Amino acid sequence: MSADGTIQVRSLRKSFGHKTVLQNIDLDVASGEVCCIIGPSGSGKSTLLRCINGLETADSGVLKVNGEDFGYYETDHAYHALSRKKLALQRTRVGMVFQQFNLFPNMTAQENVMSGPVLVKGQDKKKAAARADELLASVGLDGHGFKYPAQLSGGQQQRVAIARSLAMDPEIMLFDEPTSALDPEKVGEVLAVMKDLAKKGMTMVVVTHEMGFAREVSDSLLFMDEGFVVERGDAREVLGNPQEARTRSFLEKVL
Amino acid sequence: MGSLDATLKPRLRVRTPSEYAGWILSILIGIGILTSVLTNPNFKWGIVGKYFFAESILRGLMLTIFLTIASMVMGTLLGLALAIMRSSHVKPVSIAANIYINLFRGTPVLVQLIFWFNVSALYPNLMIGIPFTDIGTAVDVNTLMGPITAALVGLTLNEAAYMAEIIRGGFSAVGKGQIEAADSLGMSAGMRMRKVIIPQAMPSIIPATGNQVIGMFKGTSLVSVLGVAELLQSAQLIYARTFETIPLLIVASLWYLVMTLLLSYPQSKLEKRYSRATSTLPRKAKKVVLIEQEEGSLR
Repeated sequence: MSADGTIQVRSLRKSFGHKTVLQNIDLDVASGEVCCIIGPSGSGKSTLLRCINGLETADSGVLKVNGEDFGYYETDHAYHALSRKKLALQRTRVGMVFQQFNLFPNMTAQENVMSGPVLVKGQDKKKAAARADELLASVGLDGHGFKYPAQLSGGQQQRVAIARSLAMDPEIMLFDEPTSALDPEKVGEVLAVMKDLAKKGMTMVVVTHEMGFAREVSDSLLFMDEGFVVERGDAREVLGNPQEARTRSFLEKVL
Repeated sequence: MGSLDATLKPRLRVRTPSEYAGWILSILIGIGILTSVLTNPNFKWGIVGKYFFAESILRGLMLTIFLTIASMVMGTLLGLALAIMRSSHVKPVSIAANIYINLFRGTPVLVQLIFWFNVSALYPNLMIGIPFTDIGTAVDVNTLMGPITAALVGLTLNEAAYMAEIIRGGFSAVGKGQIEAADSLGMSAGMRMRKVIIPQAMPSIIPATGNQVIGMFKGTSLVSVLGVAELLQSAQLIYARTFETIPLLIVASLWYLVMTLLLSYPQSKLEKRYSRATSTLPRKAKKVVLIEQEEGSLR
């Protein structure tokens, strides 16, 4: 069976200076699974997500993405960092969507979506442009390709950002609080695109405060606090019947 | 009177006495200076006119323009390299750039210029060749470091330090999220620099560079101490002969003024264009034509 679209994490640890932000994290995401990570701010959920894309480097532990050790290769006694080129190649297979969208303001929506395929993969520009238009249409932004990010609303920008990640044909999509920076009325349009993506069988890891989305779309759910995974399991079960006191008190506050 | 249809009457502003005083005082001082400048025969305006388009003055002006352009271009390129080094995560590289920048910004340009002119006292011979072999040839630094070369070296190295700080400031104005977005798409460091960071840093770099050009244009007058016949030195050469010091200094000053004013017009345009209060970058309106889009910024 192909390991594409899977994530395996064992005993992942990460600290910033004296502060340990990830303590012995284990995580398994199967191909096509949607996994939501919830928890209070500072719980390490964003850091965990950023490790899976190489924006942060874990101090120790195993991290396999698409079946390969991510960012490192293993020898008998150590993990050796991959060259930037090889790391970049692994990154192209994991899409990342940021809280602040991070679209390139010097490029149009279409150019943003084309940027990965053209600049990184060296794809033909005409083909990439046509594909970008398709992707923009698929996130409901048909005809917006010529606009610059500053001319788009937050919800539209986030959908362009999703299209930009999808243009690389990743096996896994990571979402770091994708709706937290949006006006409340724009949240729905982004979640709709994400639901659509989940339906198509994309492996997704979503750090979110949208409990409704977690309940409706997510397969598994992780509740993190102070660098630990406090509770994990089927999304609806955890949300409906949390076993841990800490989970219960968090859910009482946010629901 | 007292009606409600007074909307068409102009609303008049109150002029305070200090405002009138300001008017009168400024005009009086202006007239005073003007009459003095025009009636004092020692200004010798005739001589100013006579030398304004003199061949040696124009040749000096050309050299000044050349020095400005050459040292700005080389200084900017070197400054870009220094800025990239300065933001390197390899500590010794970033420290080296930092030392360079502080050294050259912390000493007067005039001293630096004289230093480079006399550098042959430190290194009389320059070996050009492959290290640890016999292949190569010695160059006499004294002949190599003529006045114009010393001027170019001095101005360039000094300008590079200032441009490095300007460019680095532009780089750091580009958000961390932009770098992360480029990384997460798998861009290489060079591509990230060329396609993401530099285009976004330009709006803050370009106006500041315009200011540097204007400063450099006037700053080149310092190289007159090396005997380079740029604008100021050309004027000095004439008045050393004719003793018409003030008129020739006026000639040089007028040329500096004219050129600076000419440069400050595009400069203020650039500043306005790049300081628009949005995160949008300046650009010409693009038409929604596929051909246009193909020629877009992804080149």
